[in-house]
Amino acid sequence: MAEKVLTVCPYCGSGCKLNLLVENGSIIGAEPANGVTNEGELCLKGYYGWDFLNDTKLLTPRLKKPLLRERRDAEFKEVSWDEAINFAATRLIGIKHKYGADSIMLTGSSRGPGNEANYVMQKFARAVVGTNNVDCCARVCHAPSVAGLQATLGNGAMSNSIGEIEDTKCILVFGYNAAESHPIVARRIVKAKEKGAKIIVCDPRFIETARIADLYLPIKNGSNMAIVNAFANVLIEEELYDKDYVARYTEGFEEYKAVVAKYTPEYVETIAGVPAAQIRQAMHIYAAAPTATILWGMGVTQWGQGVNVVKSLSGLALLTGNLGHPNCGVGPVRGQNNVQGACDVGVLPNSFPGYQKVVDPAARAKFAKAWGVPDLPAHVGYCLTEVPHLVEEGKLKAYYIFGEDPAQSEPDLAGFREAMRNLELVIVQDIFMNKTAMFADLILPATSWGEHEGIYSSADRGFQRFNKAIEPKGDVKPDWEIISLLATAMGYPMNYRNTEQIWNELRELCPIFFGATYEKMEGLGYVQWPCPTVDHPGTTYLYKDNKFDTPSGKGIFVATDWIPPHEPTDVEYPMVLCTVREVGHYSARTMTGNCRALQTLADEPGYVQINTADARRYGIEDQKLLWISSRRGRVIVRALVTDRANVGAVYMTYQWWIGACNELTGGHHDPVSKTPEYKYTAVKLERIKDQSAAESRLQKDYSELRARHAAAVG
Amino acid sequence: MNKLVIADPGKCIGCRTCELACALAHSAPDAIATLSPASFIPRLKVVKTATVSTPVQCRQCDDAPCAAVCPTGTLVMGANSVEVIPSRCIGCKSCMIACSFGVIEVLPCELHLSDRQHSATTHVEAVKCDLCESRGAGPACVEVCPTKAIYIVDSAVLALAALKRREHSAAMLVIGGADGYPSHADN
Repeated sequence: MAEKVLTVCPYCGSGCKLNLLVENGSIIGAEPANGVTNEGELCLKGYYGWDFLNDTKLLTPRLKKPLLRERRDAEFKEVSWDEAINFAATRLIGIKHKYGADSIMLTGSSRGPGNEANYVMQKFARAVVGTNNVDCCARVCHAPSVAGLQATLGNGAMSNSIGEIEDTKCILVFGYNAAESHPIVARRIVKAKEKGAKIIVCDPRFIETARIADLYLPIKNGSNMAIVNAFANVLIEEELYDKDYVARYTEGFEEYKAVVAKYTPEYVETIAGVPAAQIRQAMHIYAAAPTATILWGMGVTQWGQGVNVVKSLSGLALLTGNLGHPNCGVGPVRGQNNVQGACDVGVLPNSFPGYQKVVDPAARAKFAKAWGVPDLPAHVGYCLTEVPHLVEEGKLKAYYIFGEDPAQSEPDLAGFREAMRNLELVIVQDIFMNKTAMFADLILPATSWGEHEGIYSSADRGFQRFNKAIEPKGDVKPDWEIISLLATAMGYPMNYRNTEQIWNELRELCPIFFGATYEKMEGLGYVQWPCPTVDHPGTTYLYKDNKFDTPSGKGIFVATDWIPPHEPTDVEYPMVLCTVREVGHYSARTMTGNCRALQTLADEPGYVQINTADARRYGIEDQKLLWISSRRGRVIVRALVTDRANVGAVYMTYQWWIGACNELTGGHHDPVSKTPEYKYTAVKLERIKDQSAAESRLQKDYSELRARHAAAVG
Repeated sequence: MNKLVIADPGKCIGCRTCELACALAHSAPDAIATLSPASFIPRLKVVKTATVSTPVQCRQCDDAPCAAVCPTGTLVMGANSVEVIPSRCIGCKSCMIACSFGVIEVLPCELHLSDRQHSATTHVEAVKCDLCESRGAGPACVEVCPTKAIYIVDSAVLALAALKRREHSAAMLVIGGADGYPSHADN
């Protein structure tokens, strides 16, 4: 009889509870549990995404011993933990003395390790290394949502709960493909529709939610700011907005009104490519709904203007009073299982845990005292996406990468690889050999989800406990233990006994998390922050009584003019590449690519989605291989000819090793959040005449790549 | 009357969880460790056209064209569905040609689980939705679908749907001309 271990799914931010079925120390299956967000449902990743723990080596092997090499062109050698930790400590201390603490960059991990490990990592960065250069992949994801919402409403998270989505009366889906990113959130959208909600979808692609939409606006790629300004224009000009709400609970309305004045639907029609009447209709529906919710994803954030669009989306909610009460609000649905958590616990270059600012002297004094150090760095640290540039400038010398695979997920991968080669020290702490680890001097093998316990934060601020199901194989350690050993070796003793002790230290330092005890998260317990006291039940929606977390307590209107995408298409590169997600694979794919069922559904080189008319124009047939190139690179990919893609744009997912779309994307990013403009790259497509040669080459390249990763582990 | 499994495209999000559940439900218990593209044989397929996403599978026709054309009696009427007797299949593909829904396939049998004794290397057989009749918990696709888009249609479900439609029809007759239906008084 299999034992059931209740845990949280390690994929996406939906926070689904599931039971792992364990027999003789191995996982044999997964079944849904009745969690708050998933209510007994799972998607394919939840059901079939656990067998990577068996080290299937389908894509790349698990790391089982610390690996060290003296030179980058040498082979990795297995070393003891003592040797590995001594090497890391000596080199980090040496680089810190020679170039200063700010020459060292560190990451948290928004994936399996959990909140406790991330807390320890940022503490290590700040108190031991002495730098705020610690960041996570929120940078390439929802950092604009955090920045934009903090500026306008005071809190960077979803204002609402996943469960509330099904009881709202209107959903404005903007640049968010729930069916691929969060099936369990898509389920709530379907349920909302069944309960009579109106659905409006703004997306260049005819996504799944567009099929059930009452109104679908096929906006042009790169027109977000213009269309949101037009929405505001309609609400104001047609007096559809809630004047009383605006007068009582907001500020900045007049300036906002002045900026959006020129964005009439007729003016924006030419920018966004949708009829003025539809723009008006969208706002007639949105404003008329008794409760309305805006959901957005990477389609809003992965732009050079992402922060501004987020600010303006929150403006729509403020204009219509859709904040501060149940079943409405603003929902940036977080992508990775614990990207909300990594941000929550301070893996951001400007924040301590609990969103306390590093530039605030009182916050610094509090954390310095708690951590037993005389002071903490006062200036905001570097962002993940600045690394290549900073290495080129000679400002960064060492990079300690924890549970991220930037050599797959960053834009302009050739540029990123160049930076990695020029660093003096690269330490990678992970569960799998990945593309980034291939650049490392030292690899530290960690336990995986399933092999350790802790707390994740789901997309709607919900803390949940996840549990250990099986014993790890190999000479691996939990992430927090590895970092503690390193801190100790660097002269800062860290002696945590377990994750609960770490969590309690964090709780004591974060007023908004204080009431979220391990005890309350027992079983199916779900605690949404803010949760200030132990007897507090947690907070399903933010800004109750329309009190915003801004300095004045009011919601702030901010509008900005539209600027066109950074890299326009031209004669040489006539198509737009937009990077997207697919439901069966997660993040950089080291986990799902090692799961047999998921890998069976989708494998290399991945697809480029292309409209029928464009396919005809370039002589490209469905399912055939083709070359796609930009100013930065060229990759081989398989065509998926579909009229769900709009004319003039193509769509690729970023997890493929061969069809790696980030070889093509560029480094242009938002000036505030430093989030890259993944959604708009000028590319060209070239058909391949000799398909069988291309298929052979694809298989050969893929086999060689896998073999290189396997050989590195030995 | 036969039962069938069908999906509501209004609820389907195209995630293909059903395809994996189907393929694994018709494989050996440890198939999660051995599955490959060659042995991945779901009996329902998620179809995504420009406007529709939905799994498509056998309708279990009560007057089944596949069974009618089968020259060897491979496809027979069972208690609830059109059943396959694999040992009789000669791989003639008549069923594939006859099926209006495109939901029966003839595939090399060594690629999937089969309890037959003979000639495993060359044998082919008809593969279609069997309502997971041998699975205690019912159809695996229905169980795993995260949006509950997939459901079983039996005579009770059909009767209820017909009743609701009759009530709707009756309501329209009462409303009369408003819906464009002439009322009795207008005649």
